[in-house]
Amino acid sequence: MSAWQYDSARDLDVTPLERLRIFPREPDMLVYGARLISALLMRLWLRTYHRLSITGQGKLPKSESFVMVANHSSHLDALCLLAALQLRRVHHAFPAAAQDYFFVRSSRLIAAVVAVNALPFDRQARACESLNLCRQLLAAPGNVLIFFPEGTRSAAGEIAEFKSGVGLLLAGTRYPVVPCYLAGAYESWSRHRWFPRPGQIRLTIGEPRTYSDREGGIDSARHICAELRNEVLALAGDSQ
Amino acid sequence: MSVHAALQSDVFRFYLVITLEALVLAGGVIALLKWGFGAKVDQALRAYRGWLMMMPVLVFSILLGRGTSILFFTIVAMIAFKEFARATGLYRDWLMTAVVYLGIVAAGVISFVSDPHAHVPGWYGLFMALPVYVIAAILIIPIARNRVRGQLQSLALSIVGFIYFGWMFGHLAFLTNAVHAYSYLLFVLFAVELNDVAGYVCGKFFGVHPLRSNISPNKTWEGSLAALAVSMTLPWLLRFTLPDFQPRDCLLAGLIIGVGGQLGDLAVSVIKRDLGIKDMGACIPGHGGILDRVDSLVYTAPLFLHMIRYFHDLY
Repeated sequence: MSAWQYDSARDLDVTPLERLRIFPREPDMLVYGARLISALLMRLWLRTYHRLSITGQGKLPKSESFVMVANHSSHLDALCLLAALQLRRVHHAFPAAAQDYFFVRSSRLIAAVVAVNALPFDRQARACESLNLCRQLLAAPGNVLIFFPEGTRSAAGEIAEFKSGVGLLLAGTRYPVVPCYLAGAYESWSRHRWFPRPGQIRLTIGEPRTYSDREGGIDSARHICAELRNEVLALAGDSQ
Repeated sequence: MSVHAALQSDVFRFYLVITLEALVLAGGVIALLKWGFGAKVDQALRAYRGWLMMMPVLVFSILLGRGTSILFFTIVAMIAFKEFARATGLYRDWLMTAVVYLGIVAAGVISFVSDPHAHVPGWYGLFMALPVYVIAAILIIPIARNRVRGQLQSLALSIVGFIYFGWMFGHLAFLTNAVHAYSYLLFVLFAVELNDVAGYVCGKFFGVHPLRSNISPNKTWEGSLAALAVSMTLPWLLRFTLPDFQPRDCLLAGLIIGVGGQLGDLAVSVIKRDLGIKDMGACIPGHGGILDRVDSLVYTAPLFLHMIRYFHDLY
C-alpha cells in the first residue's frame, strides 16, 4: 500500500498574524467569511453614506482574468472598485497595495488582507518580483488585479503621471485592462482627513482594451501607461 | 457554574491559588536561571509567555460560568481541528471541513442544552450518538458530488478530525455539566498539564532511553515513568478536592492521566511525524499550535468523564 500524499499548508510554522504577510495566501475559511461580511458592509456604507453610483458595470469581463486601473486620491478608491465586482469575486480580486505602508503595522495589515485581499506590492526594491507575482495571478482564470498606477494617493485630487509597472505587465499579453475613473472620493476622504465625510462618489468604467500587439520594454510600457491615463482623463471628461 | 459559584467554591479558589503560585514560582526560577546563573532560557521563556497568555483566558472562561466554558472548549476544538486540517491538507476540501466544523459546534450545543427526558444540563444520549450523525453527513459528501478520486483520504481525515478533536476533546466541555464540575474539570486540566511538564522536565534531566524513537525522539522512558509517578500520586494529594473519591478512583484517575495523557501526546506525534512537521501550528509562543498543547487532553477527557460517570454519576 503506497503512502498518502498530504498537501500541507505552506505557512504552518508562522503565527496567524504573520500568515497574512505571506503571498500567495493559503485559503482560510475564517478570513473568507470575514471578507464576505466586510464586503457586504462596505457596499452598504458606500451606497448609503457616499451614495456610490457605478456606470458601465456591464463592461467588466465576466469570467476571464483582467486588470482594473483607476485614478487614486483616497482609501475609498479600492473599496469602490471592489464594489463594482460581483460578490463571489471578492476572494479573487487583488488590489495592489504598497508593501511599505499596508504590510508593516498590524492594524493596517489585518484591514488590508482580511477586508480588501490586498496584494503586497514592493514599490522600490523588488518591483520586478511583484510584477512576476501579478503575472502568475493573471495566468489563473477569474482573477482581478486592481492597480492605481499613480503609485500613491494624490495630494490635491489631480491625476498624476502613471508609473510604468502596469504597462510592463500588460505589454504583449492577452489580458484585458479596464480603465476606470473615480469622482468624489477625494472630497469624501482625502489623505488630509482622518475620517471620511458624506459625499457622492461616482465610478465610471471604461471599455476593456488589450495590448497583445505591443512589444515588451520600458518605452512601450510608458506608452501604454500614457494611453491608459488619457483614457481615464477621457472618462473624467465624460463624467462631468 | 457561575461567577458566584466559582468564587464561593473552595475547589476553584484552591486551583486558582496554586496556578498563580506555579506561575510566580516558574517565573522566579526562570529569572534566577537567566540573571543568577546566566543560563540560556530563551525556550523556557517563550513557553512561559505562552502560559501567561493562555491562563487568563482559561481561568476567565471557567470563572464566568458553564456557557463560557463550553464556548471556550468548543472554540479550542475548532482551532485544533483547523490546525489538523491545515497540516493534512484536508482544509482544501471546503465542504468536508465545513461539515466537521458544524459537527464540533453541534457537540458544543448538545453539551449546553438540557436533556429533554432527564431534565439535566447536557444532552448525554445525543452527545454519545453524535458521531453517527456526523459520520453519516460526511459520507454523503462524495456521493452528492459524484466524485471518487481522493475521497477515501478526505473521508478518513474528516472522520478522524471530528472524532478526535471535536468529540473526544468535546468531552471536556461536557464535563462542565457535572454537579462537581469544578472538582473534575480543574483536576483533569491541572493533572494533565502537570503530567506533561513532569515528563518534559524529568526527561530533560534524567532521560537516557528513548520511549518511541520513531514517533517522538525527545521522549524517554525515564521522563515517561516519572510523569506516571507524578500522575499516580496527584489524585491522593488532591483527594480533598475530589468528592467521594475512593482509593480505586484515585488509582484509575492516576492511570488515565499518567498513561492516557502520554498516549494522547504520542498519538498526535504519530500524525505529525507522518506529515513530516514539527508542530501543528504556531499560535502559542513556545508551545507550537493549540493542538500541541491539548493533545494529552484529547485522550484523557473522555476516559476521565466515563470513569466518573460509571462510579459516581455526573449529576
